[in-house]
Amino acid sequence: MQKIKKTCNLLLLLSMVFLLSGCWDRAELENKSYVIGLGIDRSKDEGKIKVTMLIANPEVGSVQGGGGSNEKPREIITFDAIDVITAKSTANAVISREISYELLKVIIVSEEFARDKRFLPTLYTSLHDKEIRLDTFLAVCKEKAYEYFQNNRPRLETRPHKYFQYMIEHGIDNGYIADSTLFRFIKTIERGTDLALAMYTTAEREKNPPIKGEDEYIAGQLNAFGELDDTQFIGSAVFRNGVMTQILTGQETRMVNILDDTVDIHDILINMPDPFSERQQQIAARILKTENNTFKMDMKGAKPKITITIPLKFEIMSNPSMVNYVKGGKNRQILKKHIAAHMKTTFESFLKNTQTKLKGSPFPLSRYALKYFATNQEFRDFNWEKSFLEAEITVKPDIEIIDFGKQLMPQKGGSK
Amino acid sequence: MKQQQEKLGIREYVCIAFLMIGMKGTEDTPSMLFSHVQNAAWMIPLLSGGLFFIPLFLLLKTLSLFEDKNLFEVIQLLLGKYIAFFISFIIFCLNTYAISLDTRTYTNIIRAYYFTTTPILVLYGILMVVCVYAAKKGIQRIGSISYILIFYVALSFFFAFWLSMKDSQFESIFPIWGPGTLELLKAGPLGIGLWGEFFILASLISFMTSFKDFRNGTWIAFGCVVIQLSLATMLFIALFDKGLSVIGYPFHVAIRYISIGEFLPNIETLFFPIWLSAAFIRFAAFLFINALIFGHLFNIKEYQYLIPSLATIYLLIGMIPETPIDVALLKEPLRYVAGPTFAAISIILWLSAWFKGEFKHAKNKKNM
Amino acid sequence: MRKKRSLIKPLKLLSKTFNTQPHFVEQSNQQEIEIKKQKISRNYKKNLETFKTLYSIPDNIDVKTREFTIASLNRQALVIYLSTMTKLAYIQTGIIDDLVENQDPDRSIPDIVSHPLVRTVEVIEDILQGINSGSAALFVDGDNKCYLFDTVEIKSRGIEPPKNEVIVKGTKEAFTEKVIDNIALIRKKIKNENLIVEFKVVSKRSRNDVFLVYEKDLVDGELLQTIKDKLESLDTDSIADLSILEQYIEERPRSLFPTILYTERPDRAASFIEEGHITLLMDNSPSCLVLPATFWSIFHSPEDHYLRTPYGNFIRLLRIIALFVALFTSSFYIAITNFHVGMIPPDLLMAIAGTRERVPFPSIIEVLMMELAFELIREAGLRVPSPIGPTIGIVGALILGQAAVQANIISPIIIIVVALSGLSSFIIIDVSFNFAIRMTRFLLILSAGFLGIYGITAVLIIGLFYLGSLKSFGTPYFAPMTPYFLSSRDLLIRHVPMKDRFRPGYLKPKDVVRRRKG
Repeated sequence: MQKIKKTCNLLLLLSMVFLLSGCWDRAELENKSYVIGLGIDRSKDEGKIKVTMLIANPEVGSVQGGGGSNEKPREIITFDAIDVITAKSTANAVISREISYELLKVIIVSEEFARDKRFLPTLYTSLHDKEIRLDTFLAVCKEKAYEYFQNNRPRLETRPHKYFQYMIEHGIDNGYIADSTLFRFIKTIERGTDLALAMYTTAEREKNPPIKGEDEYIAGQLNAFGELDDTQFIGSAVFRNGVMTQILTGQETRMVNILDDTVDIHDILINMPDPFSERQQQIAARILKTENNTFKMDMKGAKPKITITIPLKFEIMSNPSMVNYVKGGKNRQILKKHIAAHMKTTFESFLKNTQTKLKGSPFPLSRYALKYFATNQEFRDFNWEKSFLEAEITVKPDIEIIDFGKQLMPQKGGSK
Repeated sequence: MKQQQEKLGIREYVCIAFLMIGMKGTEDTPSMLFSHVQNAAWMIPLLSGGLFFIPLFLLLKTLSLFEDKNLFEVIQLLLGKYIAFFISFIIFCLNTYAISLDTRTYTNIIRAYYFTTTPILVLYGILMVVCVYAAKKGIQRIGSISYILIFYVALSFFFAFWLSMKDSQFESIFPIWGPGTLELLKAGPLGIGLWGEFFILASLISFMTSFKDFRNGTWIAFGCVVIQLSLATMLFIALFDKGLSVIGYPFHVAIRYISIGEFLPNIETLFFPIWLSAAFIRFAAFLFINALIFGHLFNIKEYQYLIPSLATIYLLIGMIPETPIDVALLKEPLRYVAGPTFAAISIILWLSAWFKGEFKHAKNKKNM
Repeated sequence: MRKKRSLIKPLKLLSKTFNTQPHFVEQSNQQEIEIKKQKISRNYKKNLETFKTLYSIPDNIDVKTREFTIASLNRQALVIYLSTMTKLAYIQTGIIDDLVENQDPDRSIPDIVSHPLVRTVEVIEDILQGINSGSAALFVDGDNKCYLFDTVEIKSRGIEPPKNEVIVKGTKEAFTEKVIDNIALIRKKIKNENLIVEFKVVSKRSRNDVFLVYEKDLVDGELLQTIKDKLESLDTDSIADLSILEQYIEERPRSLFPTILYTERPDRAASFIEEGHITLLMDNSPSCLVLPATFWSIFHSPEDHYLRTPYGNFIRLLRIIALFVALFTSSFYIAITNFHVGMIPPDLLMAIAGTRERVPFPSIIEVLMMELAFELIREAGLRVPSPIGPTIGIVGALILGQAAVQANIISPIIIIVVALSGLSSFIIIDVSFNFAIRMTRFLLILSAGFLGIYGITAVLIIGLFYLGSLKSFGTPYFAPMTPYFLSSRDLLIRHVPMKDRFRPGYLKPKDVVRRRKG
């Protein structure tokens, strides 16, 4: 027994040697360079892509109080490579530390490349890397990706990952941009029967953009000026069969987000035409979506009929026409009917648009149709893509006005 | 070595059974089911569970005649020495094949998602060393530790499922019948292969406190695992939709994706140790049972000393395939063969017991 | 074991040539042993000579002899006693005065002397044992028996609050070095005639006594016999202290984890006796051993029971969390920062990477250095003389740490990690278990450095299996959780005392029920 114990001790000591040498996957934190954003462009060379990496500098903005350094908060490098994974080692010719995609937050593809057939295979290659996670966001930018990263200079967020995190998070909460994590994007593309959306952004402001309704812009059209950074995130890009086709405005994206139950939007602030105003003033309202929509489909018959019931809660926040909503429920009824009608027409015209121009539904509508079929083969025979284009879609908004604002009586001083 | 001092109680037995077989939902089994029957894959565990109910019931009935004798002794008693040797040897070979491939699969998972550059041999070696140490301590220890761990394993799995509910849509399960009822039936034998382990768990009867405990434990564990596997598959289908066909190990992809709020984006490191502990227990139990079978085949009394050598052999076999794809290809025939074989053996046993009139003997004994 | 025989033989030969038993010359005291085995003689002078040689009087200055004549019986008498261990007044008033003043010639010695008589002995060895324990030995000329009187008085400290197992609510008495007081402390908590205090002498030269305290109608007879056999089989010259006795009798003396409970609180000892455990007490040890001990006995603190149920459970949960923090914080930190970087929230990751850039050492070396430093400060703090004690604590912990960070030797987050894990280990009250945790922590750090979370989990599982297979006198370490035994299920969560119905089944007590239903 003693000898066994001695040999065991020897083995233990030997293994200590291994333990302290540290092996294989072990890498010190600070020896890595963390890529926050990845940009993909078309390259002049066939078969290659232009890869842009936005690398964060951990020293900047991290130490409280002392230890502030004069280094820049980020580093951007662009070069040609065959795919995103081998780009990691090529980049080490210029970047001093080992490239790591662990903190990758956003993949930005130029519109030009998104319309290219090679976009989807390139994106799929990126999934093979263990470090790229499925909750990375995918965005399409108007100009070239490297120009985007270079022009994107947020004033208030020194650390680049924070900027993207806040912008994208709040954009999704507001409904202005589509929630396009790689997970959702790939899921929709794999399903094949619906259109995939990616958020749309740009760092170039359009020269003299027209002034539209507050959410009818796409990125770059909002004429905001002052001491700020020009990057805008509004709207979404529509992908059909893996290739980008159209761009949706902010308003249209909002409608998609309301129709889509899987997107987690918070309350939306919009303007609507005031029914009591002769001068086409607009009411400010806050829409809250607390329940899921119901989708009823009638698959038999020549044309499938789809009925969508959208339960929405409205909070009226302004009253430009000074109507008294307290006395007499008649005003409230008129308002409610008006809102319902307005919503109905807006949604139905948008859905018509998806059937004609976009040629598919930008939100996972086909999923709700699945339960009407017994086997996969039946569903394939039904051919959703074709049937959707001919479907009759009716929208029934279920409006509930829960609040009319703080002031119940209109001000005396307002003009009529 | 006083190994057989204590007996396995019903709690420990149910926990071992649950960990051994319930872990199937966390490797590549859901993907495999999906590749055969697409979105009706969640039905397969339920249907095949119902199918396997009959052989299992017959097996338990046969074993109840010979209380306190484990499976292999019963086979020997009913079928004679030579046929019994032959059948036990088949079982042993099937098991060996299964364990080598399973351990290799788990090592592949660890390598693919957590330690990409470490050589497979190191990961595999550590897995085997821990399992050998655990198995050598005896099945009672394995039972005790699995009883301690079961709460946390179940809790973490439910937590992972709950967190992924946010991104899953249960409408993806429709159309209900998936590829059609014919396809479902064809996948029947595939499904039975899932429950083969219940068969070899019968070799632990001699360690149990009583046969009644074993029987009740088996039914409880069977019910729980059927529900758990079906639920897990359903959840993965709801989460990944058609993407499940390209994802090899859905559980790990799922835990890499889910997050707790904004501040803790990636929590797979919390689930990984718990999954790993359950995996260690699974293979420790397997190793022990296999050593038991081998000891019974060749009449070796102190079979626990076989465990290190057997483990080395499994490691060497598991290292043969070079890539994970090879492993998946090698696993395919096993799945089709194992389940029906075990079901057939149960039925043969029951038939031979019936013909030999053992049931009548038992009735007479009871009446006496 | 058997299959390794072929390997062992050559190893054995090799080791034999290298490890030789040291040669030493021994002096034989066979003669003295012979003398001690004899009985005393009736001759007064002979006895006096024998004992003078045995005790080396007059070299041995505290061995006193008092020779006098008992006038009434007209015989010479001799009292031998150790002046340092006896109370002179007892001998004076109880023995000598009575004998000297006695008038009646017909009374026997036991009737004359009023002081309590311990026993009458004849063999010299037993007399020596009595005198060495502090009794006074009375020899009367013509009598072949020697009378031993109980005159022991040993000075020791009074009953003070416990130093190591401090609790907030509950009794604040601790054992002292006087075993009589210790037994009294236990007796006053269990006022039952079935509380047996047995006595055994365990060593040959120093003749230390061990007292077994147990309740006869609760304890398992087999267990008791095993312990008694074990004590009798001890074959050594001296066992100075209870802690050394613990190392003699435990089944795995080299194991990292304790299998016998060592406590300095009498209330803990009493509660264990009432469950059916056996306690060992020794003179000169301000503590007691409780066996058999399971993980739960070692882990639970009496404070959990003294506080009200919600507070007790809170403290217990805190202790469980502290156990995990103490074991895993440093290793988890290394595993995450070296292997699984993706888990850290990005802001924290940036912060850590930023502060680590200027540090020269890899994280493992940093953590090991700081852990070592913490252990050094901890041990030093225990033994520092009190005037400068607190100052050193502040200097050591705060300023050195701060200075090290500013000198870029370590990064600031390491200080937090190491301090957290070090401080939480203080919540474990058992001394041995505390050490076990501290040592396991290092093992876990090394395994984390090797293979990250995989390494930690592997060591954890091996550790769990090792603990599961530990047995304390036949009781599995994790009983009654697994293997399942009937008990009051006071394991992770403590229930209200009204629900505490059964004694732990693994002790096989004769009476399992504490409280009948209804």
